[in-house]
Amino acid sequence: MKSLHTEVLIAGHLKNSVFKNTAVFIITLFIGIVLLYAAFSGWENYTNQNETSEKYQHESREDWLKNPDKNPHRMAHYGNFAFRKSTPLSIFEFGMEPFFGNAIFLEAHKQNTANFSEAGFSNSLLRFGEISIAMVLQILLPLLIFFLGFNAVAAESENGTLKLLLSQGISWKQLLRGKILGIVSVIMLLFVPTIIVLVFIWLLLQNFSISADETIKMFLFILFHFIYLIFFCVIAVLVSTTSKTSKKALISLIGIWLVFTIILPRTTQAIGAYMYEAPSKIQFQSDIEKDILKQGDSHNPNDLHYKAIKDSLLSVHKVDSVQKLPFNYSGFIMSEGEKISSKIYNQHLETLLHVYEKQNSFSKMISLINPYIAIKNLSMGLSNTDYDSYIDFQKQAEAYRYTMAQKMNALQVKYISNKKPGPNDKPSTINKEHWADVAEFHYEPKGIWDVLKSEIISVISITLWIIMLFIVIRIAAKNLKAI
Amino acid sequence: MLALLFKNFIRSKGTKIGLLFLLIICFISLLIGLQFQQKQQNNIKEAAIYQKEHIARNAAFHKDEIGLLLYYIKFSLVNKTLPINSLAIGQRDVNPSIQSVTIRGLEAQKYDAELNNPNNLLSGNMDFSFVLIYLFPLLIIAFSYNLVSEEKESGTWKIVATQSQNTFLYILKLFYIRILSLIALLTIVLFAAALLLNIPLNSLLFTFYGLGILYILFWFAISFFIVSLQKNSNFNAVILLTIWLFLIIILPATINTYIVNKYPIPEALELTVKQRNAYHEKWDMDKKITMDTFYQHYPQFAHYPLPNTEFSWLWYYAMQQAGDDDSAQQSHELENKLKQRNQASQLIAQFIPTLHTQIKLNEIAQSDLENQLLFLQETKLFHEKMRLYFYPKIFDNADVSKENWSKFKVQTFNDPSKINFVKAFLPLLILNLLLIGFGWRNFNSRNNLNSKFF
Repeated sequence: MKSLHTEVLIAGHLKNSVFKNTAVFIITLFIGIVLLYAAFSGWENYTNQNETSEKYQHESREDWLKNPDKNPHRMAHYGNFAFRKSTPLSIFEFGMEPFFGNAIFLEAHKQNTANFSEAGFSNSLLRFGEISIAMVLQILLPLLIFFLGFNAVAAESENGTLKLLLSQGISWKQLLRGKILGIVSVIMLLFVPTIIVLVFIWLLLQNFSISADETIKMFLFILFHFIYLIFFCVIAVLVSTTSKTSKKALISLIGIWLVFTIILPRTTQAIGAYMYEAPSKIQFQSDIEKDILKQGDSHNPNDLHYKAIKDSLLSVHKVDSVQKLPFNYSGFIMSEGEKISSKIYNQHLETLLHVYEKQNSFSKMISLINPYIAIKNLSMGLSNTDYDSYIDFQKQAEAYRYTMAQKMNALQVKYISNKKPGPNDKPSTINKEHWADVAEFHYEPKGIWDVLKSEIISVISITLWIIMLFIVIRIAAKNLKAI
Repeated sequence: MLALLFKNFIRSKGTKIGLLFLLIICFISLLIGLQFQQKQQNNIKEAAIYQKEHIARNAAFHKDEIGLLLYYIKFSLVNKTLPINSLAIGQRDVNPSIQSVTIRGLEAQKYDAELNNPNNLLSGNMDFSFVLIYLFPLLIIAFSYNLVSEEKESGTWKIVATQSQNTFLYILKLFYIRILSLIALLTIVLFAAALLLNIPLNSLLFTFYGLGILYILFWFAISFFIVSLQKNSNFNAVILLTIWLFLIIILPATINTYIVNKYPIPEALELTVKQRNAYHEKWDMDKKITMDTFYQHYPQFAHYPLPNTEFSWLWYYAMQQAGDDDSAQQSHELENKLKQRNQASQLIAQFIPTLHTQIKLNEIAQSDLENQLLFLQETKLFHEKMRLYFYPKIFDNADVSKENWSKFKVQTFNDPSKINFVKAFLPLLILNLLLIGFGWRNFNSRNNLNSKFF
């Protein structure tokens, strides 16, 4: 108990001296303002995005249901939309959201791209980054910590007060712990109010009815950021202790910050993208088309694959022409075509995603040595704005598209007359009540378990960092000598 | 004296490591640019081959019905990528440089996105413009934050002050050496880039070079101003890094958020929903309504009467046309919003050197939003041209085999925009002069004070 008292004293002393420095006071105040602005703009962005996407999701659903009686294949072309919705945590962490397409048009035969990303509508401003709570917590606060902590021990050593302190019976361990505690307590003056505001906004957004899943995500979001900030406090004090002068400590810390937050994230990703080149859209699509043609072209009357299907159908049903089949033949063929083309599409997509994953593997591995990448990946995962979430959205949309198209084909097979209407006949239709059989598209964000599974490297990284810093403090406390 | 100062500067281990590190990153960025350039060129080649095969194959299958054939075939328009684009990839990674469209409704095809790994987009391209805008300033700060202050801290400044008649001139020389070394680095890299990436030595490259020099000078001007305040090295380092952080991350991000929230684009989603309905509802409407509006839009086709059958290609394409015509207002609004965003960002960027330089470099490399908007406009003209060419053939049900399909080659759009030199250079020039002026005043007023103290 007595020893802890010393540490609190040291911490209190550091805190006082920090607030005597007007520059630090101004920077802290300023970061507070940035935090407020980030919360406000995140809120505005979130409500804008979700209101718009909900509005059009609803509107397009109404339009779908309002369609009169018609041939189901026409409905398959009328199609549906998948609009992406954000999760509440994405107010604080935008992640890759601005780069995601917000709407996918889902129709028969064709896998469309996700269009209208914020990035496509921006004039490269976006590339400088965005102001979000997560950005402040992950990039600005560590730098503030370094600015606060670079002379924590180095200045005492320069002034000669370090020897005084140590000669008074304070151990290195107490000194280090006290200094760390001091910086942590200053940072908590920013962090704690931010978290309170965050939780309040987060509750408000969900009208105070929160799910267990969202709560765990929010809790982990706070916990991981807390641990992350503690790292930087420890690193600041350790570097300050081992540097000969405060200037050297400052320059080393700035260097560490630049490498962690600016240089490594971009270079590792760039190297990944350079090593594993991904195909462009035109190449991707022409490869798919080639493969589909190899399998058989349902539009080509002489195609072998489809001719074989036709012949076997005719012999099973013992008829001599497709018009005499007891079901709608062209519906059957389309359903076969849809099956083949989406299988081929999915194979190519898997290959493409595999390339992307290889590209990302570099920075994923680097997250083991770079806590910034680790926390970024984790917070993006928790807020459903990471790579995996986006791929998940696209896959859910594609699964919905496939079900819808096949449902329409099944309706055609079942209800549409097999006799081809003459040039002046009314087209065959089915009752509009069938449209409601296709459920509305509903995007289900990944649960916490899946998030942790896909970001496991980051979790390991953060755990390793905690262990390592504990060990380093211990070693340092034993081996350090006052100069 | 100058030679001595230079030797002293270049001999320092930190200087060598810094310059070498920057040089290596510069070359990596050129390699990345080269890869991007090759990918773009391959795409264009691929598009040309694909279009040829694709048209030939479809023309063979659907030889009886030109209306059906044109339902399928796509024509490609390429947004020309200049070699200099490899230095500032800009928006060219998000937006596709090739548009492939059928003559059906354009609005459903125009905004199709490029395939991308969102992780790459988030971290951003490591092209040369990134190295110039982000990393050059860091080295400039590292080279100059402790000028004067370090000598004062180590006590050597007194010697300098007594030995040289004009300490201000001495400070200028210190800066001169550092400026020269970084401009030399820029020159070497751009020269290497010209060779490696086949960039012609034309006015575009020289404008790029000019902007690069002014941008480097801007950061030296800032350092000069901060050094002129004559605080200690730690203060200089903290304040310069904070300025860097401000200009590189906080201000651009704040402005971006402001623009995104000021000009939200619900029109994009409205357009897609509207365009889908506008076309599909025509299937269930009286054909006459569709045809009347079609004839109104294209009086030259009014002499094609609607055939007396349930389905006809004339009616089909009139319906497709209606999808575009009925959503024209939304499309126009979306275009306007994008223009507003572009103008707003350009206007604000004039006052923020980092943003200004990035936007201008992208403008030179034709990879900015403006280029994308022009390309979209051109796509519309291209699409209309194809439509007008094929409409009469479809309505006459012309013989597929009579058409020379091999003449439909991939077409290229050349962005005709010219760079306005005054607009490109002036904002940086003014800021540089202001900073140097204030710094000079500081030095002169304080130097007298200093001489009293020492």
